Amino acid sequence: VALKEFAVPVTLERSEELSLIRLDGAVDITCAAELKSLLIEALASGKPVEASLESVTDLDVTATQLLWAARREAETSGVGFALLDPIPEPLTSALLHAGFEDFAATLVPARRAR
Amino acid sequence: VPTVSNADQFKQSFREEAREILVDLESALLELNENRADQELIGRIFRGLHTIKGSGAMFGFDDLAAFTHNLETAFDEVRNGRLQVTPELIDLTLSALDQIRAMVEEGAGGPSADAASCTQILAKVRQIAGVSPGQPAKNTATAQPPVAAGGGQVRDWHIRFAPGPDMLRDGTNPLLLLDELRQLGGLSVRASMAAVPPLGELDPERCYVAWDMVLTTAADADAIRDVFIFVEDGCELTIEPTPLCEAEVTARALDEQRAQPGGRRSYDKPDNVSSLRVPAAKLDQFVDLVGELVTVQARLSEIAARRDDPEFAEVSEEIERLTSALRENSMNIRMLPIRATFEKFRRLVHDLARDLGKDVELTMEGADTELDKTVIDQLGDPLMHLIRNSMDHGISSPEVRAAHGKRSTATIHLSARHSGASVLIGVSDDGNGIDSEAVRSRAIEKGLVAADAQLTEAETFALIFQPGFSTAKQVTDVSGRGVGMDVVRQRVDSLRGTIDIVSKPGLGTSVTLRLPLTLAIIDGLLVSVGDACFVLPLANTLECIELTREDTQRANGKHVANVRDELIPYIRLREHFNIRTEPPAIEQIMVVETEEGRFGFVVDQVLGNCQTVIKNLGRFYRHVQVVSGATILGNGTVALILDPQRLAQDALRAAVQGARERPASAHKVLRPGVP
Repeated sequence: VALKEFAVPVTLERSEELSLIRLDGAVDITCAAELKSLLIEALASGKPVEASLESVTDLDVTATQLLWAARREAETSGVGFALLDPIPEPLTSALLHAGFEDFAATLVPARRAR
Repeated sequence: VPTVSNADQFKQSFREEAREILVDLESALLELNENRADQELIGRIFRGLHTIKGSGAMFGFDDLAAFTHNLETAFDEVRNGRLQVTPELIDLTLSALDQIRAMVEEGAGGPSADAASCTQILAKVRQIAGVSPGQPAKNTATAQPPVAAGGGQVRDWHIRFAPGPDMLRDGTNPLLLLDELRQLGGLSVRASMAAVPPLGELDPERCYVAWDMVLTTAADADAIRDVFIFVEDGCELTIEPTPLCEAEVTARALDEQRAQPGGRRSYDKPDNVSSLRVPAAKLDQFVDLVGELVTVQARLSEIAARRDDPEFAEVSEEIERLTSALRENSMNIRMLPIRATFEKFRRLVHDLARDLGKDVELTMEGADTELDKTVIDQLGDPLMHLIRNSMDHGISSPEVRAAHGKRSTATIHLSARHSGASVLIGVSDDGNGIDSEAVRSRAIEKGLVAADAQLTEAETFALIFQPGFSTAKQVTDVSGRGVGMDVVRQRVDSLRGTIDIVSKPGLGTSVTLRLPLTLAIIDGLLVSVGDACFVLPLANTLECIELTREDTQRANGKHVANVRDELIPYIRLREHFNIRTEPPAIEQIMVVETEEGRFGFVVDQVLGNCQTVIKNLGRFYRHVQVVSGATILGNGTVALILDPQRLAQDALRAAVQGARERPASAHKVLRPGVP
């Protein structure tokens, strides 16, 4: 548990059929560059991308715009991009609060996290 | 990974900004004291407090934010015409600013804020502003009764806000701004992602999101704009009322016109000033490096001159040109207007005048004059002592002034202007002037001058700078001046400056400090005596004449040269510095202008011009006053930079002493100091 504090808040797990990006804790500007490169890497693989926001406590503007841009990219190139269930309620309302209505509306989970 | 140093950096930049705002607030408050109905000043103060509160909270200075919030509330009341500006409010706010300053510096090595006085100040502020402690005060603008001046009607505003590219990097969270807007009234928000570029081109730390908002509030455009005050630079912000019907528009326009006859700008920051905040240490490092470069370049030029290689010479010349431009540029970067230093003294004058029961007005001239940051930093103390002295001793109470037929309000005038490579800083008052008789008798009493000494006015005034001159006895009651003046002298000396006093009994005193524009580099003349090289500052050097053995013999051993029928005393640097080599047949006298008149310094050879980077000799040699520093020459050797002023004074003192005791010896001349 103690180690968790030092854990990288964004990780990428790749498997045969998909790329899974896990976000954890406060995802903010300090890990924006990391998140960007993971998103690019995941999209480049051509496999469907899934993002887990389950244990996110805070998603700042940088992270939001990165996820938004990644999803737009996935749509245009025909790669699947899904945000996994469950998404913490505080996160959804924080996004709505900040005016990211369109984005929050798409937080409809495609599949249950395994 | 979040780092501590990042947070520290943000805190540091907040501190820097807060310091500046506090200085501005202080002078705005003191100006407000003179002109209590000035809406623009009130707005400036409100916005200053608001910025400190907002950014303080952003960077974790929660106590500071909470404390400032109450002051802000009070000034919001003032702004809305519900509260009168009184001297009490101004004094209270001034002491609150002191506490805020302490809170800002807390953790940065400053003294911590005094909790008891904070509570006391808060209680008084609340009492004045009519706010109860629990009440969240301002923020609920909708709950306030509508007022006529500057809005007050609840209406819809359309706000579009696109943060500047660096806003997130600067540690500002735009979402907090939205929360702040919500405190003004109902807010609907929509984030626009239109500007978000493709993932590959996206700068992950930049904000591409823009917000379109509709705010329903009674607050006016200024109040809304105030929310963004800290981030306004570089961002795109439009605040527009949603259209009203025509009658309303006319009514509002009329109201606004009535309320603000001059019309006022919506915020105080100068438009589109693009500037960069850089830590002074980095700048010092930069100037140091340029200094090293100048030294190396001198060496390169020397080598180039020795070699017969046109290509090499060309490169060397090019580098010389660039270095010289770089040097001038780097010096320029360090130049700051003296305004901030001057403004600081408004408070001192205000407080002292109150404490001493005097009526004093501070006027300024040339506050935009620029000088080296190091000089500015060192100038605060001497100016403070000079102003204190004027206030304390030079200026009388309003009654006494009136009895002498003077205006009851006294004036202290601060001035700054350039004069060649120097800057002149003046502190003058219209007080009583220096009583030179009293100074004289006190000096005789202390044994500083002989009882029968004939002193010029300048010599008499110079006495007040003697260490301890006025501290022993209450001479200040009679003579007027003294306390802290030796500090002034020391500081000005260390800046290689001079002090000039003009005083007219009953009319006032004017002290002028002449300071070099910069401390880091001087233009000098390189001279040699035996194997040693010295640098004389070019600024004071007048001419160079030959001195032959015959001339010396003709003068009968007296160190005086006849230059176009003017007798000029000279000092042989060879004797002065005990250099045991034979002088050449023809020596050179460098004629230098000093405060003691023209003086000659005899050297073997004049080697030429040099741009000299001054290196401090360090604390160990601090007592050697005839040398103002050292420099490294092109060939790697060290040359001492001479202070002609001190050399001349030393020689004169030794001559006077020698005449009194026995003939002056070279050894005597060498000893600096003790009168």
